[in-house]
Amino acid sequence: MIIKKRLVTGAAGLLTALACGLILPPTATADEPSRPSPKVELVLDVSGSMRARDVDGASRMSAAKQAFNEVLDATPDEVRLGIRTLGATYPGKDREVGCRDSKQLYPVGQVDRTEAKAAVATLRPTGWTPIGLALRGASKDLAGDDATRRIVLITDGEDSCGQPDPCDVARELAADGTHLVVDTLGLAPDRKVREQLSCIAEATGGTYTAVQHTDQLSSRIKQLVRRTAETPVQTPTGIQGAAQCASAPELGSGLYNDRERFGEHRWYRMKVAPGEELRASVSVAADRAVDPDYDVLLRAVTPGGTELVRGSEAGSGRTDVISTGLRYSVPDAEDDDADTTPRTVCLELSQSFSAPANVKRTPGLPVELAVDVVDNDEPPADVAAFGLGRGWVLLGVLALTGLVVGLVWGWVARWRITVWRSN
Amino acid sequence: MRALRKAGAVLALCAAALLTAVAPAVADGQDGKDGKDGLTEAGTNFRTATGLDQGEKGTASASTGDYLYWVVPVAAGQIPTVEAKVELPDTAARHGGATWQLDVYDGLRRHQPCTSGSPARRADEQDTSVNLSCTLRQVRSWSQRWANDPLPGAYYLRLTVVDLPEQDLGLPIDAEITTTAHDGGGKHADGGELAEPLNPSLRAGTIAEPESEAPDDTDSGTGSADSGEEPPRAVAEPEDGWGSGWWSDRWVWTAGGGALGALAAVGGYTLTRGPRSSGTGSGRPPADG
Repeated sequence: MIIKKRLVTGAAGLLTALACGLILPPTATADEPSRPSPKVELVLDVSGSMRARDVDGASRMSAAKQAFNEVLDATPDEVRLGIRTLGATYPGKDREVGCRDSKQLYPVGQVDRTEAKAAVATLRPTGWTPIGLALRGASKDLAGDDATRRIVLITDGEDSCGQPDPCDVARELAADGTHLVVDTLGLAPDRKVREQLSCIAEATGGTYTAVQHTDQLSSRIKQLVRRTAETPVQTPTGIQGAAQCASAPELGSGLYNDRERFGEHRWYRMKVAPGEELRASVSVAADRAVDPDYDVLLRAVTPGGTELVRGSEAGSGRTDVISTGLRYSVPDAEDDDADTTPRTVCLELSQSFSAPANVKRTPGLPVELAVDVVDNDEPPADVAAFGLGRGWVLLGVLALTGLVVGLVWGWVARWRITVWRSN
Repeated sequence: MRALRKAGAVLALCAAALLTAVAPAVADGQDGKDGKDGLTEAGTNFRTATGLDQGEKGTASASTGDYLYWVVPVAAGQIPTVEAKVELPDTAARHGGATWQLDVYDGLRRHQPCTSGSPARRADEQDTSVNLSCTLRQVRSWSQRWANDPLPGAYYLRLTVVDLPEQDLGLPIDAEITTTAHDGGGKHADGGELAEPLNPSLRAGTIAEPESEAPDDTDSGTGSADSGEEPPRAVAEPEDGWGSGWWSDRWVWTAGGGALGALAAVGGYTLTRGPRSSGTGSGRPPADG
């Protein structure tokens, strides 16, 4: 029945699409095609250390293989999945060669389960651990259309090559506007691994998991793959705020992202017509190690420099973002010859994040901006609802008033009767 | 004129047909998501926060150190209470106590303070779970634009660990969260009403072209596109609406006061005539006449 319904709606949709296509301007139909399906690349460390037998008594490698088989079986059809390895081919001692050892095992696309499993089965723990290089490679593998992208990195060791630093690579990849998220899974309970992997995850808005058991490994990868399929396809539009309002980009309603360096101020502009309300929220993410106290300030300012309203928030301690928001409305035009042209409102964003000296300053901190323009609300005509009252004082006042009116009325009536009688 | 009207009608038909064609697809998508394994996911940021209804339990398996986000609708007049429980990793695997924290943000991503409850709590090394809760202020139907008052709309819930031994990062946890709300009355206590709830749209923004296109843009361009297809919102409107009903206990008080006033008036009136009409009043007219 559902199929039937779908067919019917599909046919109806097709018809209207055809009919509307003739009438609507071509820009409207450009939005129509569905968004490209999400892409995931699993990046697996196949370095020599994966031989260690410390995951439920089995070797790390066999645990990973078993998990991969389960994940391949459970991958939703709409997800395009690829596999990349690092340290899989070169067993030698030459660092130069070993640190270039990362290759794509299975191309990103619709998964052919048997083929992918066969490819995974051939893997033997072999070489070095060039994580930074593998991340760059994975990002290239996922390049192309506008899909949501995710890299799932499974490794048991820190980067044994040093250059490029995987954490810097991750931050670069996150900053180049591709909305790439890197989730990391660590197979070894080692401090350096933990630090590096959580740094990579933090830099891209991903997660870090310390794996202790095989079933935990497979269920976590499955969860991450599924999450890719379910993440909203709408990714924010990249913008670059300016240093002053005059040269700032003008925003419409919607989601945007930007990067703001430490100590920097960024300006954006909005047009708000009389009778409309501007709503702006902003969150600044701490994608690297930052000092424990921080705040954010978002101001709405006229082009002349007068502050209209501000939103601010301060915090301390571990956090992913600090966020704030504001509302500002332009009153409705009172009479016909009032100015009805939209006003320009400038938004100034600043934050006071700071970082220890050894932390890289570029690229800036990720900023997400959500702006909306809605109708103005009605200011209350009276503090009470519909002018109604409440409470014992109200009752007392009403009763007393009634009593006084009754008495006065009674006396007036008596006086009138007396006057009438005497006439 | 007639041609114009015809074209308008066709366009309206198109829009209606498109809407009906799109609606089942959206519903299907949600069914698949909910039906497969319940709500076992939490978002990782404001944009991807998992939507919950009031009273609905959201669960998630995650890693220590993850930031878990949910979003829930709250209407005017309600006093929401968020309760969260975190099942901690095996005590054997942990290296010390950790502090867990629940934060609530409104639809403008402004942090909302808790009036009661324990939004942050330290779990000792031997604890197996930790319970957090947060009761917000009553959600107002209207507020000054400069105020931080809670307003109807989406509320973001963020659950995370804020202080932990470094070795415990990444260990598996299970979290569950529920939001309940009791009606505090006075949906109209503030008289005014928001034109639209603080329910952020989840649409990618468009950068306006400088100057030349601006007037066209505001008149028809984005205007018609916006009204044609509603952008996806963070939360769906609750069944009873955002609290814009007309009922308020002030009706009872005011009506009661009116009745009391009328009774008092009648009482006062009879008082002025009372002694005469009962005592002398009945005897007087014949004596006079």
